[in-house]
Amino acid sequence: MAKVTIELPSMLGNVLGGLRRVEARGDTWRDALEDAFHRLPALRVHVFDEAGALRRHVLCFVNDVNTRFGEGVPERLADGDRITIMQAVSGG
Amino acid sequence: MSITLILGTEKGAFVCRSKDRAKWTVEGPVFKGWKVTASTRTSAGRYLFATSSYVYGAALHTSRDLKDWKQVEKGPSYPKAKGDAQPTPGVAVGPGFEPRMNQIWTLASAKKRLYAGVDTAGLFTSDDDGESWQPVPSLNDHPTRPNWFPGAGGLCLHSILVHGDRIWIGISAVGVWRSDDGGKSWTPRNQGVRHVIEDERFKDIGFCVHGLASDPKEPGTIYRQDHAGFYVSKNGGDTWEAREDGLPGGSVGMPGSKIRASFGFPVAVDPRTKSLFIVPLESDEYRIPVDGKLRVYRSRDGGQNWQALGEGLPTVPTYAGVLRGAMAVDEEDPCGVYFGTTSGQAFASADCGDTWRPLPCTLPRILHVAAYREG
Repeated sequence: MAKVTIELPSMLGNVLGGLRRVEARGDTWRDALEDAFHRLPALRVHVFDEAGALRRHVLCFVNDVNTRFGEGVPERLADGDRITIMQAVSGG
Repeated sequence: MSITLILGTEKGAFVCRSKDRAKWTVEGPVFKGWKVTASTRTSAGRYLFATSSYVYGAALHTSRDLKDWKQVEKGPSYPKAKGDAQPTPGVAVGPGFEPRMNQIWTLASAKKRLYAGVDTAGLFTSDDDGESWQPVPSLNDHPTRPNWFPGAGGLCLHSILVHGDRIWIGISAVGVWRSDDGGKSWTPRNQGVRHVIEDERFKDIGFCVHGLASDPKEPGTIYRQDHAGFYVSKNGGDTWEAREDGLPGGSVGMPGSKIRASFGFPVAVDPRTKSLFIVPLESDEYRIPVDGKLRVYRSRDGGQNWQALGEGLPTVPTYAGVLRGAMAVDEEDPCGVYFGTTSGQAFASADCGDTWRPLPCTLPRILHVAAYREG
């Protein structure tokens, strides 16, 4: 399994003791998130909804690729990949 | 004696402290950027705060000192939730609608049991000081549920009163429910209250309660700020009577309605003198202070007569309202009364509402106010 870093936005850090980065392992970005949830259970409710889907206004990038677009998302993670959780900023 | 005042806003909570209820310090924001929608203090002395975000969802957090916080890992949730759509205001959710955890609207502590009222409307309890939460299926899965419909603020359970095995809850826009067996069964208690939208099948739902308070010495006496007026029940909610003499009234109900009633959201009661405090607004259509005058109304006789209180409140035109969770009283003598507005001002009275002072801050929209005695 690849060893990756999950980066969190500051708002999540504000409810998770200031944490902005979680180390995780997984073959896919979902596997890595599940590993992060295992290490940090309080994180899950903020990233996935109760049905297990990525929250509507949450984006998850693998390196520079938005997982919502499907295309270009690596099928298997590599050591050193970066997963970024962020808020979908809509409107002005 | 010192009072800690919690002001929960759209962008975090602020902690105000005073030893004399005249000079206040303001700290925060706690949970910067998050809506802080409710708080309580448990029987074990821990604070419990509810946060929510339209992006990152709702959660509970505990602290002993309001500084070091830990998020509850097994908070209230609906395990069968699908998607994140909100029901349409004024339209029944219908069969098959699966609730989801949008926001925790209210928290209550009664001996060692904790209660959480949430949107989508439901009740949850905790018997381990808030570490884990269980749904109350007798209410959450009630046969009338497909006919529940949301108010302007969503389909939310926003008010909880507990006295022994008797529990009252308020859901917008469904009504007041009472359990006499600690939550095992529930019955709507709305007789005497004007309907907002009458359900064709279930005549005892379709009421839009906005706020509840109980007389601490006579727990069968319940006060109700409703969409359609201010009401009092002397028999635990079996029947209700409007008590609106001296209150400003506006039209409520469907367009063209000739019903005039006192429209507002919060209601609080002084536990010592039983004085009542409410903030009437102009009609359900406008929801602003009448004539631009922000006033708290007090009744010293259980709602028979009302008096407008404004000494120290803004003298300039003020069109900010007070939300249902944004007023609180303390337990001192005379009682302190506190409220926050939708434009982020907060006011405190140390003399049962006779005079008011602004707190030294201008905050985001204030959603929640609670007063805790320290020491």
